Amino acid sequence: MRILLDKFSKAFGAVSVIEDMTLEIGDGEMLALLGPSGCGKSTTLFAICGIHKVSGGRILFGDRDVTSLPPQERNVGVVFQSYALYPHMTVRENIAFPLRIAGKSAAEIARQVDDMAQLVHIEPLLDRRPAELSGGQQQRVALARALVRRPHVLLLDEPLANLDAKLRLEMRSEIRRIQLETGITAVLVTHDQVEAMSMCDRIAIMDAGRIVQIATPTEMYNDPHTAFVAGFLGNPPIAFLRGVVSGDAIVVPQSDVRLPKPNGARNLAEGTRVSVGIRPENFGPAGDVPVKGRISFVETQGRENLYDLMLADGSVLRSIQPVRSDIAVGDEVEWSVASDRIFMFDDKGERI
Amino acid sequence: MDAFRDKTERLPASGGAGAAPARRRLGLLDSSRGLGVLLLLPALLLVVLFFLMPVVLTGVFAFTNMNTATGISGGAHQVSPGALRVLGERYEMGELAERLGQPTYVVDERGLAALEEMGIASGIVASLRRSHMDESFTSRREFERVIRALPDRPDTRTVKRISDAFSRSLANARFASSGALVAAAEAIDPDLTAEEKEALAAATYTGWNWTTDNFRRLSSSRDTTRVFFNTLFFVAMTLVFFNIGYAMFLAIATHYMPERPAGIFRIIWFLPRISPVVIYVLLWKWVAWDTGFLNAVLSDFGVRPRNWMLDSATQAWFFVIMINGFVGASMGMLIFASAIKAIPETHFHAASVDGAYRWQQIRHIILPQLKWPILFVTCYQTLSLLTSIEQTLLATDGGPGGATEIWSLWIYHTALNNYAGNLQYGYGAAMALVLVVIGIVLSLIYLRLFNYNALITRPRIEL
Amino acid sequence: MNGHQKSWPIILVITILSAPLVLAYAYLFVDTVTNSPPGSVVPHEFTLEHWSFLWQTRPGRLSIWRVTLNSLLFATTSAALVVVVSSMAGYVLSRLNVPGRSFFLAGVMMLHAFPAITLIVAIFIVLQMVGLYNSLIGVILVKAAIDMPLGIWLMKGFYDTVPWEIEMAGIQDGASRLTVWRKLVLPQVRPGIFALALFAFLLAWGEFILPQVLAPSGNAQVLSVYLASLIADDNNFDMALFKSVGLFYIAPVLVLFFVFQNYLMNIYGGGTKG
Repeated sequence: MRILLDKFSKAFGAVSVIEDMTLEIGDGEMLALLGPSGCGKSTTLFAICGIHKVSGGRILFGDRDVTSLPPQERNVGVVFQSYALYPHMTVRENIAFPLRIAGKSAAEIARQVDDMAQLVHIEPLLDRRPAELSGGQQQRVALARALVRRPHVLLLDEPLANLDAKLRLEMRSEIRRIQLETGITAVLVTHDQVEAMSMCDRIAIMDAGRIVQIATPTEMYNDPHTAFVAGFLGNPPIAFLRGVVSGDAIVVPQSDVRLPKPNGARNLAEGTRVSVGIRPENFGPAGDVPVKGRISFVETQGRENLYDLMLADGSVLRSIQPVRSDIAVGDEVEWSVASDRIFMFDDKGERI
Repeated sequence: MDAFRDKTERLPASGGAGAAPARRRLGLLDSSRGLGVLLLLPALLLVVLFFLMPVVLTGVFAFTNMNTATGISGGAHQVSPGALRVLGERYEMGELAERLGQPTYVVDERGLAALEEMGIASGIVASLRRSHMDESFTSRREFERVIRALPDRPDTRTVKRISDAFSRSLANARFASSGALVAAAEAIDPDLTAEEKEALAAATYTGWNWTTDNFRRLSSSRDTTRVFFNTLFFVAMTLVFFNIGYAMFLAIATHYMPERPAGIFRIIWFLPRISPVVIYVLLWKWVAWDTGFLNAVLSDFGVRPRNWMLDSATQAWFFVIMINGFVGASMGMLIFASAIKAIPETHFHAASVDGAYRWQQIRHIILPQLKWPILFVTCYQTLSLLTSIEQTLLATDGGPGGATEIWSLWIYHTALNNYAGNLQYGYGAAMALVLVVIGIVLSLIYLRLFNYNALITRPRIEL
Repeated sequence: MNGHQKSWPIILVITILSAPLVLAYAYLFVDTVTNSPPGSVVPHEFTLEHWSFLWQTRPGRLSIWRVTLNSLLFATTSAALVVVVSSMAGYVLSRLNVPGRSFFLAGVMMLHAFPAITLIVAIFIVLQMVGLYNSLIGVILVKAAIDMPLGIWLMKGFYDTVPWEIEMAGIQDGASRLTVWRKLVLPQVRPGIFALALFAFLLAWGEFILPQVLAPSGNAQVLSVYLASLIADDNNFDMALFKSVGLFYIAPVLVLFFVFQNYLMNIYGGGTKG
């Protein structure tokens, strides 16, 4: 089902958290709300499920305005960060709870609980209590409970935050599989860009109560609209250089780095300050603009090494390269930037 | 995989806007507000009935002279000798009082009708009506002489019955309302002025009245000063020596002990608190009474047996403070112990390395951390000691000779239970009002001290 | 703690200080089944005569069983009332959006400190007016009301520990707030409810002044008043009898306390009258 937030606003007392936000989530789409803590992504989620009252605007499920409907009537499935399983009930009772509330017959409940258990692979666990389950298993139960009512939309609030690294990887693909298999519209709230990129059809990046950019993961990675977006996506993260427009080039003061002006910067006045974003994979032995510097840090990642290169002005560029043993901390090197892959931002952080 | 496919198709279908699950109307109980008010209702009812109303009523009763004699509901009108004296002295209607107080016999229709009812010979009735109608007599003997002189010559028994039927005296008569009283008085003296009627009604009223006498009495009574200082002494001594002092000693001592003995001692010092107060005080009596434990042990040393608890005022105070203190000590002990437990272990290690001895540890590490707990216990225990009554009531009952009478016990003895049997509810309410006001003020301070705003968080579900 | 410093001197001091207390409670047991020669504290014979009050009712007094039944009725009913009212009101103060919530919270905290016993004169008069004087119902209501602020405060604390997400999940699952409270939240605070029930029971079981003032005689007499009137009767002084009745009266308290002390210590630490 299509979800539409239409000029949605939310304030707590006098403090406005979100103002006039419009967001559309397509039917069957999985959308990530990505942003740092306090950016309003959880507030948005709570508004969709009805736990928070909205201060302005509308929320539509399909063509139905649900703005003033209580959560009980919205038919939204939520998976909480802590899973929020009912500790005094068995797994079976947990999953059956929404159906019991809806007044379904015992036979119907049993059938649907079994279906769900099959879907999320927890058939052998049905008679255990939540305390006897691992984190990943609890997560699956929470998913089953959220889905058993056939909700219009599934909301996932930082679902992987409480899992260890290995389980996180496993559940990432599991959640996506279940979402695809059920074809349900889903919203994932997360501060982890890897989760957002690997699980979702589209990402909405939020900052200070606003949606900064909304796009598919690839688009967003390759075409960030702001420095904030560029900085948020990518691991290892992008590095920024402070530059000044000088003739038909951007120079980094106190160094001999001269980058060609990109198309968007053609009519920038002389002396305008800009910031240049260079991703680690676009800086290395191959490239067209040479940069000299001293290796300040080397991080071994197994297959690849991450190098921090300190420039003469003290700014740092990152480069990721296949493991090589000929470079150590303190070495002076000259590598190159692929100038066609750099992003340029004005001093407000907007992409030029 | 087929099962999943199947589900994939089912899910969006049943999730369609038109096929929403059976809609339930959400009623009063689904909103936070409706449910909240409903769930609060019983508590509110109890608060209103047993806190707010009694507070107000304490104030109301304090301005009355309610006591055992007046009763607590409205009173009646009784023409008692006392009431007649009041009528004479306060209203200067001595003549009226005398008239109403003396025996009075009036030959009237009512009396004649009564005679007929009794079956007295009709000749007697007729001759009474004929020759004595509306005459009145102020002495029984005189009236009976008149009756005996009637032509029918009734016998002595009949004479008595006849005179009884005409007795119209008000002396010691009781009337439910002032109307009945005035009607009866008019039967004797039809010429009563409105002023006289009013005075008569007021003087004979047996119920309670509005008055400020209680406060005048309270502020001028020597007992007030004595009981006030008794209370102050009691609260201060118990608080300092036991509720804070001894409690702190117990908390620190058990802190420097292995866990097992510490637990045992905590339980021992908890016994006074969990024991029902009657048994707890009984044990103290067993220790102190003439045939009790102390005397049995001391008699071997040639000490004269006596009741150690009531022998002298000093001894009585000693026991009263101990008895109350042992109960209060356990609360401080628990609170201080948990505060000490919250001090990071490393603070102690650092201090030991510095060569701090235990006493210095206590002074420089433990005591500074106990500032707030001490304030808390002081606030709380001041309030409860100020109004504590059970232990002292059961132990000394305020004795010997009122030496350990404290304010709350004084209230009890004035309004609720005393040997004389005259309970002065109004006066007791005035005394209680003093404590109620102090209680409200102190608990407001208590509330401010423990800034309750910090305890309130917004509900996270906004419905 | 601080292994290099000895703890035995402290243990010795506190043992000496505790000895009288322990002795007094020990003799509470001993004296009920023994006789001692006059002027001595060393028993010389075993006897059960002091327990004859269990099967012999003195003229002019209620049977001990009737009084015990009254006590049980008084303590369980008032505890039940406290638990029911507090678990309802505590939930509201912990979780629900009601107008004036912070005002109620401050009120409860203030009432918790306020010495309700000062109101006893007014309550005494009111109970006489409405005809509940000398009845168990009146004294039960008063006792429950007086213990309620503490109960609400404790229950609020218990509810505060239940994760909000449980309630949010319940609401998302379609349950009403009432259902969420009854089916999802109440089961989480069951240990707290049990502790409060136990605590309120013990408070009422030991209560003396309220029944003494509000229901002193007649058929509503409870154990505390019964025992106090035995002791106050100067014509029949019998310490061994007092202690036997006392032991009969205190035994349930001691048993409950020792079995459930972990539940109770927390509540006592939270502050009670005393």
